[in-house]
Amino acid sequence: MESFLNGIKEKIGDNDDFFTQLDFLFHKEVSLVGLSTMIDLSKTKEALYQNVRRISFQEPNSETIWCILGEVVNGEMKKAIKAIFEGKLIIYIQNTNQYIIHDPVPKTLNRSIEPPMNENVVQGPLNSFIEDIDTNIGLLRKQIDSEQLFVRSFTTGTKYHKKISLLFINEIVDKDLVDRITEQIEKHKDRDISDLQGLSSMLKSSKWDTVFKFNTTELPNHAIQYLKRGRVVLFVDNLPIALIFPNLLWDMFVVENDRNFPYPIMTAIRCIRVIGILVTLISPGLYVALVAVNPEVLQIELALSVAQSREGVPYPAIVEVIIMLVILELILEASIRLPKSIGPTITMVGGIILGQAVVEAKLVSNLLIIILAATTIANSTIAGAQGSISVRVFKYLNVLLSAIYGVLGLATGIVLISAYVASLNTFGNSYLHIRLERNEQSR
Amino acid sequence: MNSIHVMLMYILIHLGLIFFLFPFDIIASTDQGHWFPIMIGIIIHFGSLVIYMRGLEFFPKKNIVGIYFGYGKGKAVLFLVPILVYLILVLLITTRAYSEIINIVFLAHTPLWAIIFLLLFVATYIALKGIETILRTGILLSILFLPIILFVFILSFQNVDWKYAIPIEPDFRVFTKPSYFESFFAFSGGFLFLGFVQPYFSYKRKNILLSACILIPFFLFAVYIPVLTFGQSTASTMFLPYVVVVDSLNINWLMFDRVTMFFLLSLIGFIMLYTSLVLWKAALIISSFVPKIKVNYLMILLSVAVFFFSFLIPNWKEVEKFFWWTSFLRLYILITIPLSIYLLGIRVKRKSNNDTY
Repeated sequence: MESFLNGIKEKIGDNDDFFTQLDFLFHKEVSLVGLSTMIDLSKTKEALYQNVRRISFQEPNSETIWCILGEVVNGEMKKAIKAIFEGKLIIYIQNTNQYIIHDPVPKTLNRSIEPPMNENVVQGPLNSFIEDIDTNIGLLRKQIDSEQLFVRSFTTGTKYHKKISLLFINEIVDKDLVDRITEQIEKHKDRDISDLQGLSSMLKSSKWDTVFKFNTTELPNHAIQYLKRGRVVLFVDNLPIALIFPNLLWDMFVVENDRNFPYPIMTAIRCIRVIGILVTLISPGLYVALVAVNPEVLQIELALSVAQSREGVPYPAIVEVIIMLVILELILEASIRLPKSIGPTITMVGGIILGQAVVEAKLVSNLLIIILAATTIANSTIAGAQGSISVRVFKYLNVLLSAIYGVLGLATGIVLISAYVASLNTFGNSYLHIRLERNEQSR
Repeated sequence: MNSIHVMLMYILIHLGLIFFLFPFDIIASTDQGHWFPIMIGIIIHFGSLVIYMRGLEFFPKKNIVGIYFGYGKGKAVLFLVPILVYLILVLLITTRAYSEIINIVFLAHTPLWAIIFLLLFVATYIALKGIETILRTGILLSILFLPIILFVFILSFQNVDWKYAIPIEPDFRVFTKPSYFESFFAFSGGFLFLGFVQPYFSYKRKNILLSACILIPFFLFAVYIPVLTFGQSTASTMFLPYVVVVDSLNINWLMFDRVTMFFLLSLIGFIMLYTSLVLWKAALIISSFVPKIKVNYLMILLSVAVFFFSFLIPNWKEVEKFFWWTSFLRLYILITIPLSIYLLGIRVKRKSNNDTY
């Protein structure tokens, strides 16, 4: 009955990290099969022997005894191979055509739980999600400690498997939403998901939406708060973030950590974020509109000083703004790409370009530098990486429309953006909702 | 939750309509006691509104297209075709008139077609996204723009001289003036949409009446502020009296010289929303007659048609003529549609009562 082992060897034996070892457990000859890159073999064996020794004192009945070591399976080769690649140890009992899927001591392939890398916390819990999906779910379980927290897991992909888990608090969540997300995942289970775009298209959102249907967070604390507000949290294996369904406009202004401050201060902070988004959207467009099309809106002194600052700039305001905005985007993009040791160089060079040199060379006006700085700073006040990126895109619409129609174009741009934002919805939940639980009550 | 959407929309579209031509028409129609024609208008407005909403309550979860079609094609044609014609004319006139106003007030060098194109483009875009988007956009726009409007509205009392309100005795000759009937566009333009949103949004009658009440001071002061600032004889010479008042405001601490700009821009934002709503309604009615064509294509076709037809109106004089022609249609809509819905509703109720006994 060596055909089982041979079969497996034939399929995956070419891998150098594949091993089979003879061993004796309960006075029977067994083969241990697995991948040495995922299993810490010596520790596993030690644990296994200890277990066996302990059990054989109790009850040396050979029929049920194997179940204690793991799931007993009858010669199903596909399942064995799948288990091996999931990092399990296969204990094959010679001459019986039975094997056991045993949970071994794994090699430590995960980093430990660390403070968040991208989201800063002021006076709040500091742990953040890691790549391992089970650790992430564990983090949430530990913090919420309630029998109402439910987890649904799926394995997707045909060639490349990926685990996806759906978490929600049963008594608060909109059941419809959970059902719809589950349905979508089940329907497209055969897709290979490696990024958020793939996940997004799996959940039936248009490829051209500039705003995802989900919001992301690295912080278990935030994820918990979202769960308590009736949202659904989705984990994808190997992504150190939680995806929050549905994404709402209000999330751009609200950080759960705000609640660690007194109420008036919290309100003030949120107002600042609202101002931030408005400044980002409006100020570059307003500059173009006021300089190029409608200077009469300004008071005469102001209009004069604006004109003075633009003296000698050889091209129209729209070109000026677009050039500078693009340079700014380049700097942002470059500073993400570069290793930490070279990053400051870019900051310095960028600072010189933006701060002094362009103005002195009379390529752009002083005022524009101020506007740009304000825009960039304001953009960063928006909570959530996804949100701030979509706002970054929207402002170009305003710049273009202002160049053509002046302040009217600016207003039109705002109307268009409002309409676009208003048209977004996640499985029937509008992007504009502020809270979901209350919404359910009114239904 | 849903009531707020409809309430705000109701306020927004009326604000968009009130401040431009309404003061001009009222001031042109009478020399004294302006409150009288305005109040008559408001009373008629309330009357139609209440009857209309009462009627609609008999048909829960149904829009007026469905209601009329429930009584045979004859009734549908009789009532829906005038509404359709009216809506298309409104579309044509509003885009034409407001593009003209924009041209006069702040884009003197931009060709008219570009402005008309912009207005129609935005309206079509919003309308294509459907009624939910239209009303939700209303919420966002009111958060963004209503504060500006309120701010300017309060500021516009700056140069008011209350003596100009005298004499307050009404002049009954207003009913003979064509411009008075033209002023009804501010009352008749908005309320129809209440009959269209039904399956998507529900609202309480009380709330809509509340928002209509909120509008009363705006109706009154849009006329009275120019009169109180300049006096009747000066105000009557102006084309957009309220805009002139706002233009004359002087606020030292604001870095902007022309507050008008922001006021008008906010209102034009509302007008874009209004045109998108009208476009959506018109497309809905057409699609009920021609169900084969998709509503989205109808909207695009309609807006393209309006774009080209608006060039057939060569100047402002012609726009005004159009305005006058539509005033009969307006009265028809203001009176027959609410009444017919109400009567149909009563019939339905009687029928169902008879069935139960």
